[in-house]
Amino acid sequence: MDEQLKETPTTEPPESHPLQTGEALATVASAREANRELSAFAIGFAGWLVPGLGHALQKMWGRALAVFLAVAALLILGVGMRGNVFTSRGEDAFATLGYLADLGSGAFYLLARTMETAGPDVSHSTGDYGTRFIATAGVLNLLAALHAYEAARGRKA
Amino acid sequence: MHVPFNHLQSMLLFALIISLAFGTLGRRRPVERIKYAAWSFFLFILVAVVIGWAMYPFSR
Repeated sequence: MDEQLKETPTTEPPESHPLQTGEALATVASAREANRELSAFAIGFAGWLVPGLGHALQKMWGRALAVFLAVAALLILGVGMRGNVFTSRGEDAFATLGYLADLGSGAFYLLARTMETAGPDVSHSTGDYGTRFIATAGVLNLLAALHAYEAARGRKA
Repeated sequence: MHVPFNHLQSMLLFALIISLAFGTLGRRRPVERIKYAAWSFFLFILVAVVIGWAMYPFSR
């Protein structure tokens, strides 16, 4: 009798521990979260590199167009007003800050450098305004890139 | 290319471009965007005029 009981095959499925299932789900959720974070970062970077691209990748066409046009208009007007496009060889802290702000335009910064053939003229108020226009274009683009990053993470829309 | 703007024109253009961008980024519905952009534009001009008058006594 005892031998028969021992030889009888068990048909019960192997027990899955509830904790193991929870850990697996947590691992999958964590991987998804990491993937989403990486994707959001890439979208933010794209938005910085080309103004409006971060929103365009998320099919936010109105915002993409608005950011692109606003940054382009500010840069073109700023250069046309003979504003200063700062370089990395800044002589003081303000020039370094200006360079960081200008860099916010991403690829448009290089465009502004190539457009600025006559050089800056900040001896008049128009040139001074132009410098602010160019710096604002960079800061606005940084703000838009951050917005695109947050939207990709699902925090804003 | 030379853009000959004076102070007032530069300020108005700056406020207009930034307000439109703020409105588009900050709100979703078209009507809300227009309202937000108009409110931002108004505040830009108001603050500029107030600061301008506040500096006036020290300008000479």
